[in-house]
Amino acid sequence: MMSPLIGGLQKTTNYKVVLPFYIYASLGFLLGTILLLCHTEVVGVHYFNPQTLAITHTMALAWGTMIIFGASHQLLPVLVEGKLDSDRLAYLTFWLTAIGIPLLIYGFYVFDMGLLMQIGAILINLGVICYLANVLGSSFKSNRRNVHAWYVITAALWLFATTFFGLLLVLNFRTPIFVGNSVDYLAIHAHLGIVGWFVLMVVGVGSRLIPMFLISKYTNERLLWLVFVLLNMALIGFSIAYLANFPAISFYIPIILGLLAVVLFCKYCYNAYKVRIRRSIDQQVKTSLISIVQMFLPFVALIIALTFLPQGLFPRMAIIYGFCIFFGWITAIILGMTFKTMPFIIWNKVYHNKAHKGKTPAPKEIFNDNIYKIMLYSYLGGFILFIFGIVLLHQIVLKIGALLLLITAVLYVYNVMITAGHKSRQL
Amino acid sequence: MNIKTNSNEKCNYALQDLYHVDDPEIGLNIVDLGLLYEMYFDEVDNKLMCIMTLTTQFCPMGDAITTDTRASLAKSFPDWEVTVNLTFDPAWNFSMISPEGRTFLGR
Repeated sequence: MMSPLIGGLQKTTNYKVVLPFYIYASLGFLLGTILLLCHTEVVGVHYFNPQTLAITHTMALAWGTMIIFGASHQLLPVLVEGKLDSDRLAYLTFWLTAIGIPLLIYGFYVFDMGLLMQIGAILINLGVICYLANVLGSSFKSNRRNVHAWYVITAALWLFATTFFGLLLVLNFRTPIFVGNSVDYLAIHAHLGIVGWFVLMVVGVGSRLIPMFLISKYTNERLLWLVFVLLNMALIGFSIAYLANFPAISFYIPIILGLLAVVLFCKYCYNAYKVRIRRSIDQQVKTSLISIVQMFLPFVALIIALTFLPQGLFPRMAIIYGFCIFFGWITAIILGMTFKTMPFIIWNKVYHNKAHKGKTPAPKEIFNDNIYKIMLYSYLGGFILFIFGIVLLHQIVLKIGALLLLITAVLYVYNVMITAGHKSRQL
Repeated sequence: MNIKTNSNEKCNYALQDLYHVDDPEIGLNIVDLGLLYEMYFDEVDNKLMCIMTLTTQFCPMGDAITTDTRASLAKSFPDWEVTVNLTFDPAWNFSMISPEGRTFLGR
């Protein structure tokens, strides 16, 4: 008889911890698209302006970060092969960031870097510290830490570096802390967040979830470690080159390192896809796989900007770059993964002890699939049109693109609410 | 499907109900998925021990599937003490899926 490994089963995180993040993030996405629709005129001007900063921080914090907080609290047990260290810290993370984010966004929107905005930035930092403590506590409770755990730990550390640096930049507007202007450091603040937090987290989590959802036995720790090193080297290399004022050509080195990392991650996902056990792939996993390909678009924008464009056109390319990141791959992967992870959370909440009493709905039946498909078409149409709008600097095209993205957000919120409010069916 | 057991008759009886226990994500029952490894019947003390696995150790539905399996076995053997143990050695793989299961998965 084989010896059973009792206790090998992962304990799922309480749904009460996770759901508030999902609901908050969906409203954040809605706000981001409303702001985009109301302020399409910012596309033609430099990115350091109130509305662009408000939209960017809405998408980065209220949308991207909040949903990653939610998903990662749910997935931490899976990633670190242990248990979430503290529900209390998770609640604190939610409330501190949930209050801090609107204060920060409002501060940007009215361009008042005063007390309200500073309080917002401090609250966000406290929330991130709680999150970091929870990640470290969960990871270091077990003796063994796999590559996915290191991705999450490192991403959480970079997130703290991003928000702390952001706080200093906010304070620097009123009380000089840095040698230069806060604007001079924006690129570093942005890339700490984009590469250090978002990319590392997406690769770390995606490399575990994508094979799991494809029912694929593929794994390649060495490849993931290589991607990990390349991404961190790219980020550190960029920061050094920027701070030391290296010539423009030196920026190609971190770009190439980052690009190589994305290519290798794509290869990892493709290998998992090739050896999958289930032939058919649902729409949500397809969306997530498409979003991985979307990771190349910001690189294209960056290389075009550095190689071909005169300085005058650079700001617009910076807008394309930012748009491709926040409304592109980050949004696309969230649109896919929300309706892959959230139905599991709700299914476990509603049917966990009822499954043996009769036929339960599958997790994918908990949300409205038709609305999901319409949402995807609306998203793709909106995303492509808005890019055209930026290139052509055409207000009507920009408005139509933004309107389609707003429709996407409305449909997304609707499906999130349907899922969150799902009640047990008669079994 | 290759379940080790000390009573084929009782095992087959248990399987009738276990065919209704699905992996909710895949939509296929745990018997055809090959998640059941062993089933032992202690007729002296009326004890039933089932050793099973999951498609992955990190399966978010793992708790629900094992609860479901235990409930199904308790339904088949109401007066027996049922224990469901998990093992990941050997790890589940494609070869464990029954021909019917492979057809269901499009393979």
